[in-house]
Amino acid sequence: MSERPPLMRNLRGPRFLALALALALAVAALVVHPLAITRTGVAVLAVVDITGSMNTRDYTVDGRPESRLDAAKAALRRLVADLPCGSRMALGLFTERRPFLLFEPVEVCADFAPLDGALAALDWRMAWEGDSRIAAGLDRALAMAAGLGVDLLFITDGQETPPLPAGRTPGFDAKPGVRGLIVGAGGYSLAPIPKFDDRGRERGFYAETDVQQENRFGPPPADAEAREGYNPRNAPFGAAAANGTEHLSSVREGYLKELAAATGLAYAHLDGPGGLDAPLRAAATPRPLPGQVDLRPILAAAALLLLLGSLLAAPLAALGRGRFTVPRTRSA
Amino acid sequence: MGAWSAISGWLAGFGAASPWALWLLPLALLPLAASGRRRAAVAALSAAPPDPVSRWIARALTLAGILALAGLILALAGPYRAGERITRIGVGAQISMLIDRSGSMNETFAGRQPSGAEESKAAASKRLLAGFVGARSHDLFAVTAFSTAPMLVMPMTDRHDAVRAAIAATDRPGLDYTNVARGLGMALSQFGDESGVSRVLLFISDGAAVIDPRMQDALRAAFARIHPNLYWLFLRTKGAPSIYDRPPGEDTPQAAPERHLDLFFKSLGLPYRAFEAEGPQQVADAIARIEALERDPIPYTEVRPRRDLTGACLALAALGLAVLALAALAEADLSARRRTVERASPVSAEQIRRAA
Repeated sequence: MSERPPLMRNLRGPRFLALALALALAVAALVVHPLAITRTGVAVLAVVDITGSMNTRDYTVDGRPESRLDAAKAALRRLVADLPCGSRMALGLFTERRPFLLFEPVEVCADFAPLDGALAALDWRMAWEGDSRIAAGLDRALAMAAGLGVDLLFITDGQETPPLPAGRTPGFDAKPGVRGLIVGAGGYSLAPIPKFDDRGRERGFYAETDVQQENRFGPPPADAEAREGYNPRNAPFGAAAANGTEHLSSVREGYLKELAAATGLAYAHLDGPGGLDAPLRAAATPRPLPGQVDLRPILAAAALLLLLGSLLAAPLAALGRGRFTVPRTRSA
Repeated sequence: MGAWSAISGWLAGFGAASPWALWLLPLALLPLAASGRRRAAVAALSAAPPDPVSRWIARALTLAGILALAGLILALAGPYRAGERITRIGVGAQISMLIDRSGSMNETFAGRQPSGAEESKAAASKRLLAGFVGARSHDLFAVTAFSTAPMLVMPMTDRHDAVRAAIAATDRPGLDYTNVARGLGMALSQFGDESGVSRVLLFISDGAAVIDPRMQDALRAAFARIHPNLYWLFLRTKGAPSIYDRPPGEDTPQAAPERHLDLFFKSLGLPYRAFEAEGPQQVADAIARIEALERDPIPYTEVRPRRDLTGACLALAALGLAVLALAALAEADLSARRRTVERASPVSAEQIRRAA
């Protein structure tokens, strides 16, 4: 009856085209497979300093003081949650002069619960000796990370116990080519270090005479001759007892940056529970991880826009022409 | 109230990957206000008689629009039916492993540094324990290491690959001394509070130490509370005293710590067995016997994977879109038709209405 068949006119009409395209997108979303992509994750050996100075409470959480070790644990637990699935983490302790590996790398998502539990259980009471020779520990931690084929995340406050001999910087055996990050824990001003008795109960703080203030092993420093009571045989370090601030602790950032420069690692300060993620990713070797992108939300969103457009095109066009009055006609 | 809580309980089983998209859901009511269909001017609507068929078509198209919009918005949110946790009964136990990491564990059973094909005590126990973990899928494991101080390595978990990663680290150079008492205390603390579960404390060491009398009472209390089955796998170095040897001189804990630790374990009133192994083969035999002894039922939790409902939403949306697209295809253009009508008058108003 019509001049042109309505079917042909509708077939070319914008509304049908929009709806047909939306239908095609919805059907495509039904059958499309996730797109395989490559993401970057990390594989890291986290070594946590659990020596006495890490008990210093110079962090604040909810207005309450928190020890460096607790801050480090919270930061590691947040890091594990933040890392993309497929990243792996091994955990080690540091005290004395060596790292002690608790477990080899585990996957951060599938094994999240035991990994999180192990991090939560870290305690200074696990320490087997009181010394804290950080440079030696870092050297061996680098070798351990190289052996595991992962990067290194070394959390410490940088306080060497006993103190390093004056004017000498520690040497490193080898540069194993491990990348990674040294994280300095602790505040920038000196704070007292809690003292514990042999049953693990807190008993005040370390006093000046409780700790070794100067390293008197090996040859004396160059200025020893000027000290009071100096005698080359009987008092090579002078006659007076050493005094200093080794019984107090702050993050030794300068020393840690020196260590980082000597070993080719990056340095970051531990500011709170968050924020380890970004510096670690920047410092660590990017490890390609298989990932996938679900295309369905994109297709569904496109179909939704087309459908909304087909519904609203006419009213909007009328609005645009400024004559959106009460329609005299109505559609069926 | 009952119905409401039932509905909210049923809804709690659902989740969305990107819930923010659900804020768009009110848009799904848009077809009630705007149809998007072609408008046609009609001189007088009242001239057309009411037509139930047209009305039903209009309602069906509105419904299809709502369906398509709601389906697409829900699909955008990525809905899923949450995975269920089902508790079942299997054969297994909670096994807390206490592993000696003192320096002597890195020597061979002959008491030397390993060379060539020789295996250290730590390497042998690592190899055999790795096979033990995962042999039965419902066992839970915890790993504690000790030397001078106890170290919590891995809390109680059913993730066997994590446990194997912890065991893989046990043949690295060990530390100084053997401080058994505190290690036992921490290994006992690894058990959870569940009742009706078979608990096993597997203690692997190559030596023993005197247990401080103050610690003895605390340990006795902890053993009595947790009541585990206790197995001591004693890796005996050649020439070292056996558990069962009486010392030649005075029989004190200091003179024969192994024998007195065994006596302490026997005095606890627990199911206890000691295995003395002088080589890897004997370690393997001991582990096989422990495995055979532990055949108790254990409740374990199975997590069903969550079901993705995006596909279902997309299918509904596709259905609605198909109806809308067909309607758009079948739509009559009254403005085109009117010219025809004007020429050939005998077309009823009803026909026009229906076509619209």
